[in-house]
Amino acid sequence: MHYTFNIERGNFTDAGQASSSVKRTLKQLGVDPANIKRTVVALFEAEINAVAHAYGGTIDVDIDGEKIVMVVADEGPGIPNLDLAMQEGWSTASQKVREMGYGAGMGLPNIKKNTDDLKIDTKVGVGTTVTMTVYLN
Amino acid sequence: MAQGETYFRHSLKVNDYLCAGCTTCMRTCPTGAIRIRGGKAVINDNKCVDCGECIKVCPHKALYIKQDDFQLIENYGYKVCLVPATFIGQFEEKYKTKAIYSCLKKLGFTHIYEVEHGVEFLVDLYKEYMEDHPEIRSFISPYCPAVIRLIQVRFPSLVDNIIRLKSPLDLAARAILKKLMDEGARRESVGIFYVTPCAAKIASVKYPVSQQDTCIAGVINMDFLYNKVQLMLHDSDKDVKPINHTLTSRDVLWPLSGGEASLFRGSHYAVDGLQNVISFLEKLEDEAIDAPGLIEMRICDQGCVGGVLATNNRFVARKRMENRARLFERLHRKNEGGLEYDDSEFSEQIAQEMVIPEIKPRSLYKLDDNFAEAFKMAERMKKIEKALPGVNCSACGAPSCAALAEDIVRGEASIDTCIFINRHSQASEDAIRSIWGDRVKTKEINNDENK
Repeated sequence: MHYTFNIERGNFTDAGQASSSVKRTLKQLGVDPANIKRTVVALFEAEINAVAHAYGGTIDVDIDGEKIVMVVADEGPGIPNLDLAMQEGWSTASQKVREMGYGAGMGLPNIKKNTDDLKIDTKVGVGTTVTMTVYLN
Repeated sequence: MAQGETYFRHSLKVNDYLCAGCTTCMRTCPTGAIRIRGGKAVINDNKCVDCGECIKVCPHKALYIKQDDFQLIENYGYKVCLVPATFIGQFEEKYKTKAIYSCLKKLGFTHIYEVEHGVEFLVDLYKEYMEDHPEIRSFISPYCPAVIRLIQVRFPSLVDNIIRLKSPLDLAARAILKKLMDEGARRESVGIFYVTPCAAKIASVKYPVSQQDTCIAGVINMDFLYNKVQLMLHDSDKDVKPINHTLTSRDVLWPLSGGEASLFRGSHYAVDGLQNVISFLEKLEDEAIDAPGLIEMRICDQGCVGGVLATNNRFVARKRMENRARLFERLHRKNEGGLEYDDSEFSEQIAQEMVIPEIKPRSLYKLDDNFAEAFKMAERMKKIEKALPGVNCSACGAPSCAALAEDIVRGEASIDTCIFINRHSQASEDAIRSIWGDRVKTKEINNDENK
């Protein structure tokens, strides 16, 4: 099963629709609540990252019998130092973003914690593609 | 409607004689529990959470809450009326509480207690529970039974966040029973009758989530008792005897939104109103909000004064209860002459009895127990949903096109019930097209789906 969603820069208000929709399907499939939670938390974090940092992008979710693969691809500034970005508490978020309760530097570490496989392709000035996989068993 | 094991039962019923099949309740139901069959609303017991929204919106008064026969009180020597503080809030302030109590006595009750007598004891149990579970960050109050059931069916991953303790109602009933038995009453002669402000509370007494017996002999609808008492108050209120039981100001405020949360130091939240509760739980489940501490949740706006069986305006009732609480505050009222919880042996025993052993997740979304089968069904459902017009007209007897798609894959409905897809004449084709234009689908999609 395939789902596609668009990401709009700075639209925190509507963020979360992708995770809500995926969550509903996983509940229909009877996926274990713990795995649903991991998936939804990771997807939401990745979406918020793109909303906060990128100029726009897409979310593609594929669900099959074994796994959920989520690809969040954005056009944006890219991540100059991926190792730093993977550290808890490291953030380049603007004051405005922090005032909205985001930007605590937990995004990528939280995604890593909640997924079984995480791949980040990033190019400064071009964009970032985050590929997250959660195995169902 | 095809159903396997029934694990929820309800006192909320449809009066087929009054029901016009108008779809209003069906489109309001937060769990999609209602369908129209045979021209009448039909409730799926496993999906209904007793929130009472359907009763509130029904233009034909066709939904009702089945209460116990009032005559039942005559079966008992000790006829105990257990009223929520919300009940007193229904009456104009010119009527004194003792006048209301005296009317209840004239109706045949021998003892009257307000439900909230034990909330301070209960709050201590909440706090102990929270200390005993450091692994849980957000604790959801178990007070509103409709919230518990909503979580079971729609947010099963949050079941463990619910504090597994019974309600002030269970506590008060247990303490009354002890008090009367200490005074020499036999267990069988004590009939405790609870006055309910809503459908959820009656269900929680009749079919408790703990699946353990309650000490309640029967339940009376609050609007029914209000009407009886109101008539008598007009008739005469001269024969008034003072009553000793007292509540504290905190007790009186408990049923109101915020009344519970405000008793907790540190971080706490008070969420009321059906849609607010749903959106909060949705975000909590996604960890899109971080809400450490106690989360008080009430399905009804303003709390229990917004219950479907509350007769008076919720804001007016709220104000009256706040005034009553202020008065008690000024009088420095303590819980005297009411129910006692300080007997250590009893309080230890009751603390154990108050524990709900287990709250089971009851997901209403799951299509099949077998993952591969559920997967096939979900795929087919997505396809059917695309073929449907997305107008959510409800003419098929389901609340939305998505719900019809689900009913079809569950084998509970046919795509032929969609009047958009099943157009028999050129005249109906033209008429529908004139309203909806290109959103109408052709029959080929229908045929394709049937292959």
